[in-house]
This record gives sequence, structure tokens and C-alpha cells, in this order.
Amino acid sequence: MLVLNDISKQFGGVRAVSNVSFEVPAGQVRGLIGPNGAGKTTLINLISGLLTPSSGTMSLEGDILDGTGAAARTRKGIARTFQNLRIFENLSVGQNIEVAQITARSEGHEDSIAIGEAVERFDLAGKLRMPANALSYGHLRRLEIVRALALNPKVLMLDEPAAGMNEQETEELAEALDWVKTRFGCATLVIDHDLKFIMTLCDRITVLNMGAVIAEGTPREITTNQDVIDAYLGEDHSNAA
Amino acid sequence: MIRLSASQRSGLVGAALLAAVLVAVGVATLYFGSRYQIRLVYSAYVNLIVVLGLQVFMGNARITNLSHSAFMGIGAYAAALCVTPENIKKISLPAAPWGLADFSLDPVLSAAIAIAITAVLAFLLGLFIVRLTSIGATIVTLAVLVIVHAVFLYRTDIFKGNQAFFGIPQVFDLAWVVGIAILAVIVCRLFRESRWGIQLRASADDEVGAAAMGVEIYKLRLIAWVLGAVILAVAGICYAYFLGTISARPFYFNHVFLTLAMLILGGMRTVTGAVLGTFLISFGLEGVRYLETGPVLLGIELPEALGLSGIALGAVIVLTMAFRPTGIMGNREIETLFARKTF
Repeated sequence: MLVLNDISKQFGGVRAVSNVSFEVPAGQVRGLIGPNGAGKTTLINLISGLLTPSSGTMSLEGDILDGTGAAARTRKGIARTFQNLRIFENLSVGQNIEVAQITARSEGHEDSIAIGEAVERFDLAGKLRMPANALSYGHLRRLEIVRALALNPKVLMLDEPAAGMNEQETEELAEALDWVKTRFGCATLVIDHDLKFIMTLCDRITVLNMGAVIAEGTPREITTNQDVIDAYLGEDHSNAA
Repeated sequence: MIRLSASQRSGLVGAALLAAVLVAVGVATLYFGSRYQIRLVYSAYVNLIVVLGLQVFMGNARITNLSHSAFMGIGAYAAALCVTPENIKKISLPAAPWGLADFSLDPVLSAAIAIAITAVLAFLLGLFIVRLTSIGATIVTLAVLVIVHAVFLYRTDIFKGNQAFFGIPQVFDLAWVVGIAILAVIVCRLFRESRWGIQLRASADDEVGAAAMGVEIYKLRLIAWVLGAVILAVAGICYAYFLGTISARPFYFNHVFLTLAMLILGGMRTVTGAVLGTFLISFGLEGVRYLETGPVLLGIELPEALGLSGIALGAVIVLTMAFRPTGIMGNREIETLFARKTF
């Protein structure tokens, strides 16, 4: 279980994340939504160790994460994808996945059969020997997810995984991520602006605005929350839901 | 039993193909070459080992290193100090401190000590260099080159500066350097395709992305840096053990520039690129040097053009960077040229 306790991040005079606390147990998919600049990606950067919190603590399965860097947190079981793709473009698709598998093996994990299944599921099976920079944008997004899964993570964080995808691709992605939830059983944190995608996929949702949590609950509770409607969803969406 | 990954097995196939080329050139020179040509090819193979040492760090971490000739020099001088007979050192280094003129060791032990000294120095420097940004690291390697050269030049009691350090036993011939170059090719290919090599190349593509994949970037850079320095020391030893005489000048800017041009032309990301670039420039420069002398070609007497080889090297770097920044080979190793497209 990933536990965040009173996490804040200050950039000079700007408080990007303010006293955020929540838990993501294994097997749960938690959505993180909010308007642009709400602090969602900053929060993921704090959890993955790319940024250091100004205050607060976080732990993974009781293991305190404070003071550990990005690579060390990955080795403890925190995997992520990026809003702006960070593919190793001069490696092949297979080698991109191997980079993660090397880390997983060094942490004592056997090569998982589930990774082979994930490669199939995310439509990368016939593309393993291709240079990564020859993949389409949608497949690059899929590769980032499979690469993160190859770490054998306890926590998987997906930063706008459906960004740039068309409706059909987004639906396929939602199905594949639903399969990931069952097959891998890791705690998952998802940021996305596609509310249909988030509402379909997530068990619980945390809404951020101006760095602070303004609501937390099931998708149904979130769509009827007046604070969320005012700050992010708007009346139209609320009526549609 | 060592288990090789699919990438490493493919790397060994590539290394075998390159080895076949190296053996063919070596054997042809040995049997049909003049003394001058044997010397020329020996020099090309020493430069190849240097370029391979450069490729291990620069090609995989993609941080420009300008200190490689200094590490070659450290290897050459350390081996020379150990292996040169006492009676010669007493004449050539009469003021040598710390009893350096009072002993001599066999060539193998001397080479081992030289490699160990170079590796330790590289490790200590590497602890600092691998944490710097790309441009910062490059500037520091340039400073290292200048400092080491200054030490060679001004500690004449140990290194004899620009004077010849003579009397080194000439224990190597062309067959030796061909064998060592092949070994260096195999080591470089295995490293490139190893888990360290793949993760290091990933970090060169995207440092943040690599950290998020659990890659210990500084550790991997340090391993490549030290391995590169060891290969450079071996090149220095090959140089000293063939010529029997060394001085400070060959381990400075001209050599840095020459070997850098070789790696850039062939393509720094691949071992095949290192081999190709070395051969093209080594043998191409011979043609340019011939033109420098003002020969008569097709009845036309060409003017003397001293310095043409320097211009040609500069042009190679400028043109490669302008039109094919990844070099001739780009990301392709030799075995991929023979593989069928499978996608």
C-alpha cells in the first residue's frame, strides 16, 4: 500500500502541492484529476522521487520513502510513465523493456510471464526488434506502460496515458489497463483529462485544485460533488453524468 | 557457466565478423607488406584500441572525453618505467626518485602494473567526472589531458619530457597487436550489449527516464569510464612495447584530435563505427600525406601542401557533424547489415 501523509511542495512563493494525504492499496486504481496546474504531475514527481517534498512523509508497504532518490524508489517498487514521453529512442522496443527487466532482475524478481502477456495485450509483440523511434505515438504510450510493468511494480503511476489517443485507442487502453489491474494487482495511480476514461477505469478518485485535495471518493460521488463541479467538471458534465 | 543474452550473442557474431576483417588485414600486411607498411598498420591497430577505449565511455554514455590520450600515455609510461632494464634507466633517468631506476620487471608484470595504475587513477577521477553534466565532464577531461601532459613534460627526472624515453624492450609485433585489438573488440561488444551497456545507453537517451527505470547512472558511467581507461592503457603499452621509445608529444592534442575524428566519422555509438572510422582515417591520411609532398599526378606537378592532413581531419569532423552527426554507422552494428528485416 502506498501512503501519503500531509505531502506539500513549495516552489519559491508558490505552493504547488498542499497537505495531500491518501492511500492506494494493492489492486486499487485511483484517479487523480483536476484542472491544469492543480499539482497532479508534481505529486507524481514527488512520489517517484524526481522532486523532494517540502514537508510530509510517504511510505510503501510500511517502508518510509523519504530521502530516497528516483532510481532507489523504482527499485523499491514504484514505476511510472511520463506526460511527455521518455522513451529510449536509440534502443529497440525489446531493449526498452529489457532496461526495466534488468532492474527487476537485480532486485531478485524472475522474468514474469505476465510481461510476455502484457507485450501481447498492448500490441507490441511483433515490434520488439523495431527501433523504438519507429513506433507510432499510440504505441510509444503503450511501450511506456509495458516498460513500467516490466519493473514488477507495487505501485504503477500513469501520467496522462490516453493523451493524444483517439476514442477507439482510449477504449482499448482502458480495457488493457483493466486487465493490468487483475493480472498485476499493483496499486495504480492514473492522471488523465479524459473523464470518461477515468470514470470507467478507477475505483476511487482524488480531485486536486490549486495543489490541495478538494474531494475524494468513488467516481459516482465525484461527479455529484458540488466543489468538483465548480472547480473542474462544470455543470454540463455533471448533468451528463 | 556464463549465460549470454540474445543481444550479447548477437554482439559476439558482430565481434567475430570484425575480428575476421582485422585478421585479414593483419595477415595480408604480415605476408605482403613492406617494413613501412607493417609499421603503418601496427600504428592503425594501436589507434583502433584507443578508439575502442574511447567508444566504451563516449559511445555508450554519450559524454565527450578528451583525456583519452592522457590515459594512453599513463599506461605507456608506467609500463616503460617498470620494464626498461635498470642499466638503461640509470643512464636515461639518473635523477629518478623513489628508486624508479633501481628495478626492472618482466613485460607481463609491467603491463599488469601499468593497467592497475591507470585503472586506479581513472577510478578516482571518474568518481568526480561521472556526476557532472555532459559539458562539465568534457571540460574536466580536457583539463586532465593538459595536467597529465604538463606532468610528462616537466617531470623530466621521471618521464624525460619531450626527449625520448628509450630502451623499452620491443616485445610486441603486428601479430600481438592484432590479437589484442580483437580482444578489445570482443570486450567492447560484450559491454555494449551487457545489462550495464544497455542501461547506460538508455541513460544517454534520457537520463530522467532511465532513473525512473531504476538505472544507477553514475555507477554505470563509472564502470564504462574505468573500462575505457584500461583499454587505453593497453593501447599505450602496445605503443611502447613495439616502438621501444616514447615521448610526451604523441599523447597530446594531435592524437586526441586524430582519434576523435576516427570515432566521429565511423559513428561513436557502435563498435563497428569505431573500427570503420579508424581504418578509413588511418589509410586515408596516408593518401593525404602523399599529396602533402607535392607529387606529380597525371603529369601535373602538385604544389607542396604541408598541413593538409590537419585540414583534412578538421574537414572530416565538420562534414560528419554537419551531414551525418551519428557517423557512418549510426546505431547499426556490422551483423545488422547482414540480418533480414523482421518487422
